[in-house]
Amino acid sequence: MTFTKPGIMRRAVGVLALGTLGLAGCAPGSDQDQGEPAVTGDVNTDGASMGDVELILWDQEVRGSQASQFTTLIDEFEDTYPNIKINRVEQSFEDLSTTLALALTDPNPPDIVQANNARNDMGAFVGAGQLLSLEPYATAYDWTERFGETVLKNSRYSSDGKLFGEGNLYGLPQAGEIVGVFYNKEKLADLGLSVPATWDDFTAALEAAKTAGETPLMLGDVEGWPAVHVFGPIQGAHVPPDEVTALGMGNPGADWTTPQNVAAAQQLADWATGGYFNQDFLGGDYDAVVEEFANGTGVFLMAGSWVGAVIDEQMGSNAGFFTPPPAQAGSPKATTGGTSLPFSVTSGSKNPDAAALFIDFITNLHAMEVLAETGNLPILHTAELAPAQGVWADVFAAFQDVSDTGYLLPYLDWATPTFGDEVLKPGLQDLMSARTTPEEFCAALQEDYAAFTAG
Amino acid sequence: MRRSPLASTRAASGSRLPRRHPGAPRRSHRNHSRPARLAVPYVFLAPALVLYGAFMLYPVGRAVHLSLFDWDGMGLGVFVGLRNYADLAADGALRASFVHAAVLMIFYCAVPLVIGVIIAAVLNRGKVRGLGFFRTVFFVPQVIAMVVVATAWAGIYAFNGPLNQTLRSLGLGFLAVDWLGSYTWALPAIGLIGTWVEIGLVTVLMLSGMAKINPELYEAARLDGAGAIREFFAVTWPCVVGETAVALTLTIVAALKTFDLVYMTTSGGPGNSTTVPSYQVYYQAFRLHDVGMAAAIGVALTALIFAVNLVVNRLADRAEA
Amino acid sequence: MISRFERTANYAILIVFAALVLVPLVNVVATALGGPASDRTGIHLENFAQAWQQARFSTYMANSVTVTLTVLAISLIVSTLAGYALGTMTFRGSTVIFYLFLLGIMVPGEAIVIPLFFDMRALGMTDTLWAVAMPQVAQSIAFGTYWMRTYFRASNRSIAEAARIDGAGPLRALWSVELPIARPALVTLIVLLFMWTWNEFLIPLVMSPTGKMRTAPLGLAFFQGQHTVDDTLMAAAAVMVALPVVGVYLFAQRHFIKGMLEGTVYE
Repeated sequence: MTFTKPGIMRRAVGVLALGTLGLAGCAPGSDQDQGEPAVTGDVNTDGASMGDVELILWDQEVRGSQASQFTTLIDEFEDTYPNIKINRVEQSFEDLSTTLALALTDPNPPDIVQANNARNDMGAFVGAGQLLSLEPYATAYDWTERFGETVLKNSRYSSDGKLFGEGNLYGLPQAGEIVGVFYNKEKLADLGLSVPATWDDFTAALEAAKTAGETPLMLGDVEGWPAVHVFGPIQGAHVPPDEVTALGMGNPGADWTTPQNVAAAQQLADWATGGYFNQDFLGGDYDAVVEEFANGTGVFLMAGSWVGAVIDEQMGSNAGFFTPPPAQAGSPKATTGGTSLPFSVTSGSKNPDAAALFIDFITNLHAMEVLAETGNLPILHTAELAPAQGVWADVFAAFQDVSDTGYLLPYLDWATPTFGDEVLKPGLQDLMSARTTPEEFCAALQEDYAAFTAG
Repeated sequence: MRRSPLASTRAASGSRLPRRHPGAPRRSHRNHSRPARLAVPYVFLAPALVLYGAFMLYPVGRAVHLSLFDWDGMGLGVFVGLRNYADLAADGALRASFVHAAVLMIFYCAVPLVIGVIIAAVLNRGKVRGLGFFRTVFFVPQVIAMVVVATAWAGIYAFNGPLNQTLRSLGLGFLAVDWLGSYTWALPAIGLIGTWVEIGLVTVLMLSGMAKINPELYEAARLDGAGAIREFFAVTWPCVVGETAVALTLTIVAALKTFDLVYMTTSGGPGNSTTVPSYQVYYQAFRLHDVGMAAAIGVALTALIFAVNLVVNRLADRAEA
Repeated sequence: MISRFERTANYAILIVFAALVLVPLVNVVATALGGPASDRTGIHLENFAQAWQQARFSTYMANSVTVTLTVLAISLIVSTLAGYALGTMTFRGSTVIFYLFLLGIMVPGEAIVIPLFFDMRALGMTDTLWAVAMPQVAQSIAFGTYWMRTYFRASNRSIAEAARIDGAGPLRALWSVELPIARPALVTLIVLLFMWTWNEFLIPLVMSPTGKMRTAPLGLAFFQGQHTVDDTLMAAAAVMVALPVVGVYLFAQRHFIKGMLEGTVYE
């Protein structure tokens, strides 16, 4: 622009500025009604009597086996209740995380959403009054009977969203999740190794693989969160489980800067700088790298059970899975895991009864059978539904074992509203490329955690 | 702002074409009363002003307004004055996003300018056959949605993608790196996508400038025995300063709004090495629920665009004077 | 005279750059037509049908068409009127108003989308056609008004003057005399606005939070998130998003580039 007449330009800007000043008195948000929405009166559990209903559903069940169990269940649900139609909007986990917060602020939000348990997701939504407490439905459908409290507590928040792990129920999961180690059986055998019994055995196996010219560990961390599932198990092998749980749930009483935490961070940094990962571990795409592993690249893949189907399909009996081993052989195992993203009902839903009916339907015994048949890890009846062989047999057994005798540790990004996106994900990438020291990494995490727990 | 190849703001106000007619109707043969005639331009302008005011000017004002509050987008905002701006200046990660934008400017502005000038000079001087074809091809990246461009390039940069495959087959495998996962290369890799997009725009702009140069100037230069390079600096360059300013203005703006590209390729990583202000606006507002900060970044971005435009055009004016 | 060497060098430079421009695009098209990673041979047009269906393009393309037509229709009419007034009439405040529109060309969508989202949400208007279209209408008006004013200022005014002397009101003069000869400028403007609106990402992303008015580029982004492994389908979807704009550009390119060259800088 030729500002041959800067005076006019300045005046134009001045007009804008003046218009703004007039508004300064009125705070944003003052016109919005707050308050806890609740289901009033009796809940209806009789689908046939609900009339014609359309439910909008936002989910991230997009990977092969997850997609197939989900479409199967939706079809069955619509057959059972012809008057209720499910309008599904599926997205990747990453895209759902970024768009759900926006969608829930809408006066007409989706009816059913898959909300991450994290404080920045479910916690924030509960605090904003965007999710419906499912307590009345839990009573009506006997959900507390169906699910144990260990499962339900991951979807419990106080109604202001501040306390995590207690309070009202805001969602139900379908699948169990355990983060562990997938491995290529042939390659492990070629290295002359067996499934490691202790954490030191595991690190020795990684070193052996490296020496043999293999890629020990596969990782595709372009989205930032996959590395959390590598660090989680490492931390589980170093830090007492109750401390990890406090850190992960953002509850007070723990410390990120303990020597054990620093040692865990140090180990991840050593793995990365020592060349244990594939060369493109920072810029590689998560699913693409899982696919590469399934096609025979790399010896180990530390990832969640949800990629099991892709691996099973491609590798068949060549794939195995084990729980990250404990420091001492035979002591309880601890690793990241728990439940898949829970399904919640939004406060803005006009048909909460139908929405709750759907959630009940996709989490009942029959649904668990469908999950198992299509290559998923059902959260309930895991032992009865376990397949006899293949990588899924390993996954089911590992989940059962850790649920019964070990510790399923929370996902670390649950901790505080800013923890995952602001601190942990970029922090892990910085750590793995030696741009920060383990001490600095832990100090940054501690700062965020301490600020949050101090209130 | 829109990616406007031609939003040559300088052109508009700097028009040196004589206005052949003063414009306003001097007299009407109809029996309009004087006030009615005076109202005509305002009636014509009214719809534009109403819509533009409601969906552009008012939101800009509101952005400034929101930037003065600490607000999570849900509850009641708290007035904090200029604290969001102070936080913006103090926050290393946010400051870094502006630094990244500055780096991107090199790839979006400087590099395309150099390349675009060369191509245009070649097209213009060489009386090249197939000019229309080349011009059409060079401009194609401008018309394709960034999302598509990002998809195309993400595939090229993939570790086992065409770029690294080519390098390896040339025996340059040591150069094959994890482009989008590298602290060193991710930002330049995104920048090069920008270079690829903007070259066509610069070329077309430069061609338009060069087309207006009097051919006699070239002949005079050639009679003096000037070669291609001396001819360029003696004749061509001084005549396209105006176009250069336009090109810089547009490419700078494009460099400052790379939201879709970053969203699709790196999500800001590795670490925070490819975060940009326009990505931060979205991220702060809808992921971190810090609407005040998001608005403050948006306002700062706007101010930056205004300021850069001002500087570029001041420089161009001086160069031309 | 231009030496033989120079001529060869010129073509070499041009062909290299043309290749650099085309390679990424050809790569996408080739991937879209090819088979899956395991077997690249043959031409697989069914990729497009499959991607169309899986990416829900029936909905997203329809949204794109609706949004684009809405933005084009409103902003063309409105900015032609405004540009006509600013380009051909003298009146008090015209300079200030003109600069006000110029400011709008420079304001990034990032700055206005945040307040627009929260204000429209308060009005219950998010997720509507208007929420997605109107901010883009405002952006288009800023540019369109500037563009048409530049055109009208530079155009030959004597015809219009003649019409006026014949007793035509300003609206009729604009409609039946000015617009027919303004076609090149209008074509260029239409192509530009079409291109920007079709390609816009941030505004539909934010203004349609529940995705009812999601446009094709967003559909592609979310499809990519789910199908990173299946690059043929992704490439096919990308081609389909780009095709309408590239088609319009190639169809109109002669007028378009000419209009741009003429409309750019009057100095």
